[in-house]
Amino acid sequence: MATSASRPSPHAQNAVHETAGGEGIIKSPEQVVDVVEAHASHHRIPDRIEWPDANRVAVNLTVDFDAMLLRKLLDEPPMQLGKGEFGGRVGVWRLLELFRRHNVSATFFVPGRICELYPDAVRQAAADGHEVADHMWEHRVPADYEIERAHLVRTADALAATTGIRPIGSRSWHDADLMSELGYLYNSHDAADDRPHFVTTDSGTELVSLPFHYTWDDAMYFNFAWLNTENSAQRMADSDRVLELWWDAFQQQYKVGGYLNLCLHPEFSGRSLRIDMLDELIRRMKSFDGVWFSTCADVARHMLGAGRS
Amino acid sequence: MPWKNRYTVSDERCFADEQVTWPGVKKAAFTLTIDLSPTCRAEGLRLHDFQTPEAFYGMNRGMDVLRQTLGKHAVRATFAVPGVMAEAYAPLLRSLESEGHEVAAHGWVHEDPSLLDENEEEARLARTTDSLGQALGHRPWGWFSLPRPSDKYAGGGLSDQTVALLVKHGYEYLGNSTVDDRPHYWLTDAQKSAGILSMPYYYHFDDQFFLLFPARGTGLEHMDALERNWRRELRAQQNRGLVFNATVHPHAIAWPHRLWRFDTLLADVMRDGTWWNPTARECTAHWRTLQPLEDVSISEEIWTHYEDSLN
Repeated sequence: MATSASRPSPHAQNAVHETAGGEGIIKSPEQVVDVVEAHASHHRIPDRIEWPDANRVAVNLTVDFDAMLLRKLLDEPPMQLGKGEFGGRVGVWRLLELFRRHNVSATFFVPGRICELYPDAVRQAAADGHEVADHMWEHRVPADYEIERAHLVRTADALAATTGIRPIGSRSWHDADLMSELGYLYNSHDAADDRPHFVTTDSGTELVSLPFHYTWDDAMYFNFAWLNTENSAQRMADSDRVLELWWDAFQQQYKVGGYLNLCLHPEFSGRSLRIDMLDELIRRMKSFDGVWFSTCADVARHMLGAGRS
Repeated sequence: MPWKNRYTVSDERCFADEQVTWPGVKKAAFTLTIDLSPTCRAEGLRLHDFQTPEAFYGMNRGMDVLRQTLGKHAVRATFAVPGVMAEAYAPLLRSLESEGHEVAAHGWVHEDPSLLDENEEEARLARTTDSLGQALGHRPWGWFSLPRPSDKYAGGGLSDQTVALLVKHGYEYLGNSTVDDRPHYWLTDAQKSAGILSMPYYYHFDDQFFLLFPARGTGLEHMDALERNWRRELRAQQNRGLVFNATVHPHAIAWPHRLWRFDTLLADVMRDGTWWNPTARECTAHWRTLQPLEDVSISEEIWTHYEDSLN
């Protein structure tokens, strides 16, 4: 188990706001007005995004390279850890080969600790031209602010030492002010809107938010005990069904000139049948004109250019 | 030391696809695991687990039609059998081996060994080896620890000492591992002082997690999804020249409305002509010629200790 307390991920699915006693009880409608207005003031949503080179849709293929780290955090048994190990010794290399075959760029969100477990794969991702970005030190955010800072800095140092490039993006629930102070431009963790947008903190710090929705997360379909859920909560899907769900999502976003951020884990998407499924999905996408296969950093920089003009 | 201590159990990079070859110039290996344990909890089989209608179906009508189907297509399988069942089913187990199948151990009562202390785990392992040995006329060579349908995790249970005990008791292979989709070594430590060749297992190819699963609810039958998983994995692993494994249970897959799909799939596999269809022991014996344990290379440890981290 982790040696210091962690701050939970803010997603509603994680039920982090389950409360006991009187916390959060609404005493007047005005309170709701205040909360809703304050929440709205922290989000700046562009009406329409013009993609570079007259592209019609932006696609971010993202890879969360956790391997067994989250399984370790949850103190899971050996075969669960082994399932994560598959991602490091097999799956990540297959995803790299798939992207190479299709000549598409991706973003690898990498916990800093992975640089000690699978340094060759992290180096290869960077050498292949993919973005390597933060995914926390060991897939958690410490509750203590100073330890959180130490983890964020240590991860950036580890990624920079391994790839030669300092990360500018994250998939985490790290403190936005801290991320901004350390040079981060974007986070790709929440889905407050389906369009890339800007999120500001109370102190006025603004980060690009690249929406990532759980329905575009392979773990939702393929990972038994996802998010530490019990046996009776499992409904596993086959890769053909997920192919059609994601293909539908792509076509809808293509029609509206939007954005699709697919979240792939090497331990799930690196399985042979899913590489085969992703190969088919990418081939279908490439059959459309004006698809911008870009890194998250590309989209964030574009948003900052467009957002400030 | 964290390096191999519950982070990784094998080498950091899988054995390369292009180095894999199969006997008879076959392209890939098709392996089938048949779990004979009636449904039970993590503590393992109790008497009442043999008294359910599902258990009766599995060991009677289910076994009959499943064996007929395997025979029709000349498919060979590895049967994972809890030691406690050996005496009751000794003639059946011997006849399975006479048909070319392999019978392997599946715990004493299909228990999760992580619930046992080391002495109890070793005593049950020895008892299982003996009881199956008496039923078969030879000791079992493989050891399975497959998941139960009520488990929180769908990989199967191992204790921290299981692999070392299997090596000590002369087992040649571990029948189910989530670490790779080809045979691989599960090592006891970073010095490679011991390790056991392990066969791939993945719950997306195991019937019990798709057929009336989870145990209670509505709309829980997904034979169609299971078949789609099998067929896409078959195609992908054939292209890579690796191993396909399906794990099935007679009380589940052998119901006629499901079995016809499995029957069709087996027919397609065998008609294709490019699959090698070994038992688990044959598959691991071949793998040992491709990759002896001495050839497994472990990366140098570069772990840094931090007080504020997992270690």
